[in-house]
Amino acid sequence: MSVAGTVVDVLVSGLAKASLYAMMALGLTLIFGLLGVLNFAHGSLTMLGAYAAGLLMVTFAGTGVSALVWFLVAGLTAGVLVGGLGAAMEVGLIRKLYDRPPIYQILLTFGITLVIDELARIVVLFYGMQPQTDWQAALGTKPAFIADTLTVFGGTINHLELFEILWGVLTVLAVWAFLNRTRYGLVVRAGSEDEDMAAALGIDVRRVFTVVFALGAGLAGFAGALLMWDPAWAASVPLASETLLPAFVVVIVGGLGSFRGTVVAAVIVGMVDALMTYFFDHAIITFSGLPELTVFLILVGVLVVRPQGIFGLAEVGGH
Amino acid sequence: MAISTDAVDAQQGVDTTESWIRQYAHDHVAHLLVVAFLGAYPLVYSVLTAIGAGGVFEAFLPKIETMTAVFYFGLFAMSFDFISGYTGYLSFGHAVFYGAGGYFVILVANGKVPLLPPETPFMVSVLLAGVLAALVALAIGSVSFRLSGVYFAMITLGFAQVAYVFMRDWEFLGSNPRDGVAVSNDLHPNAFEIGIPGIDALNLAVGPLRGDAVDWLFLDLGATEVSYYMIGLVVLVCYLAMQRMVHSPFGRVLVAIRENEERARAVGYDTYRYKMAAFAVSGFFAGVAGGLFAAFRRSVSPDNSLYFLVTGDALLASIIGGFGTLAGPLYGRLFDRGVREFLSKTGGGGGLLPLLREYVPPSVLETGIINGMTIGQSIETFLNGHASLYLGIVFVVFVLYVPGGLLGSLRDRLGGPVAKRLPASLRNLRK
Repeated sequence: MSVAGTVVDVLVSGLAKASLYAMMALGLTLIFGLLGVLNFAHGSLTMLGAYAAGLLMVTFAGTGVSALVWFLVAGLTAGVLVGGLGAAMEVGLIRKLYDRPPIYQILLTFGITLVIDELARIVVLFYGMQPQTDWQAALGTKPAFIADTLTVFGGTINHLELFEILWGVLTVLAVWAFLNRTRYGLVVRAGSEDEDMAAALGIDVRRVFTVVFALGAGLAGFAGALLMWDPAWAASVPLASETLLPAFVVVIVGGLGSFRGTVVAAVIVGMVDALMTYFFDHAIITFSGLPELTVFLILVGVLVVRPQGIFGLAEVGGH
Repeated sequence: MAISTDAVDAQQGVDTTESWIRQYAHDHVAHLLVVAFLGAYPLVYSVLTAIGAGGVFEAFLPKIETMTAVFYFGLFAMSFDFISGYTGYLSFGHAVFYGAGGYFVILVANGKVPLLPPETPFMVSVLLAGVLAALVALAIGSVSFRLSGVYFAMITLGFAQVAYVFMRDWEFLGSNPRDGVAVSNDLHPNAFEIGIPGIDALNLAVGPLRGDAVDWLFLDLGATEVSYYMIGLVVLVCYLAMQRMVHSPFGRVLVAIRENEERARAVGYDTYRYKMAAFAVSGFFAGVAGGLFAAFRRSVSPDNSLYFLVTGDALLASIIGGFGTLAGPLYGRLFDRGVREFLSKTGGGGGLLPLLREYVPPSVLETGIINGMTIGQSIETFLNGHASLYLGIVFVVFVLYVPGGLLGSLRDRLGGPVAKRLPASLRNLRK
């Protein structure tokens, strides 16, 4: 393969991975930025989104271009459903713990994952599917042309990768526009900056908390819908922990609570992942866990050198 | 305090060594009671299940194998609690120490560790496993303790995941490292022995299949019971060592770090050193626990030793048993395993399934409730094999409403640590 082809190959698959990582992590960073809660249930919410969207696609979607329209509907519905669940979680459980040490929020959300995952396992088993393996029927709702490839400068590009990049960029832009171009986004940013001051200025911070938690959870569900179509991830119960860990890495590398940091970190992690996958695929380094290992090494490295992350504020280092 | 009791004893003409033992026993009444109960448990279990009573006892009492698993994992959970519950630093990558201990013991037995032949006695290799884990803890701690709170939890998690991915895909370990490594039957045909190395008579092998059986005077113990006692003994010694440390001035400093680290530092304690020491101790015992686990099962896999959900299990045991109480995690793990065994899918070792078959007439089980789903099917769907759901709910409820856990709540009720308050309460009862 030509050098240009290799570059195109790695670059496009890196950007596609970056899009997925950004989508997995955006909700997590949004929630941490305002509420200071590191949501361990984020991966489980992503998994629920994948199943919800998969269910809609399997039940209703046709083939061809109409499948894309249905996919948009399914993704949004999954987002709304999971977002509603997130709002209920915040109001019913997490709200009780704001005045306790941050460790307790980790504990609580970890407990919520146990419950959600086991419930998902019960439902999946009930319908005669295997919770451990990928949901092939949902993967099969992908229209044929998405699975096609095209060749640019000798590099092969999967249409799915382009679709993921498009999807990721649109999501990032939408969240950015919400935070920076709407009045409610201004309120959210004010709350992240100084919660007490925002409250003193007459903003109902508690309601903003609920809305942001719902939004973060909804983004997780929306990300799940996209993962449902990607054969490397696909809907399964272990998807919960498979997505949680990279989301943590991205959020921490970027700086907990920083939107810009998360996007930049997603690109870095996605690119490194793609590069390492390339190294392994072409037998330059023959260690099969290489991409995953590097991703966690990035986490450790950043925490050692710059604990607050690339764009984090220095003071949160002592959170 | 010690001087005054000595003085009293001297007046009464009691030998002071004997009174020291008596004082120690007096301080440990609660421990003695628990140890006596656990010591009698296999006997009680065999008698009660022999009586039968229609399988009721078998359904509710955990099996001896399960109890053995509770012991070694309980030790791991205690070591997790030693750092996380006492200093308040959530060690979310604690599985790395458990895995280090487990892998080390197996690799020594397979002759893959330089300088250590496969014949190395288990007691030596498990001790070295603990030391290795302590060294790993020092290495991880030296960078991690510059952070706190969420960041500390994340960096330890990061280290553990690096180890997990590495051991999962490292082909040096065996032909299929993803499924774990087992002890080679050619290199190490014998079971692992617990006892005093070098003296054959003082060693007993553990393991469900290859363990020793003991037939001595009126004692007649199978391999399962011997494993139970020997692993229980090691765990007891480790517990007492940790308990001693927790109640020493060193332990008080750990609690001070949890309550207010800045003040502890202001008073003059070098908190970084204390945290490092506590982490190393905690790592050591986690390594020993991992070694026991691997020796009992003769195998170890990345998913049951190094994965972050293993730490999650220790966390679950700690929260239910009592975060910041040393013995609590053992009871928490007992609760965890007990519920899982009761709701097991196969009904091996008792549990709900055989009990229902025995007592509930088939006509009831076949009654439809909704959409033609019968009661029997709904039990199959929602209860058996799904203990995680109920444990998760219990966990959430405990985090929200019972932050002290089982032992912590008991402690609050008695007005102090159970081991300290129990002798006094018993004395009040006698009066």
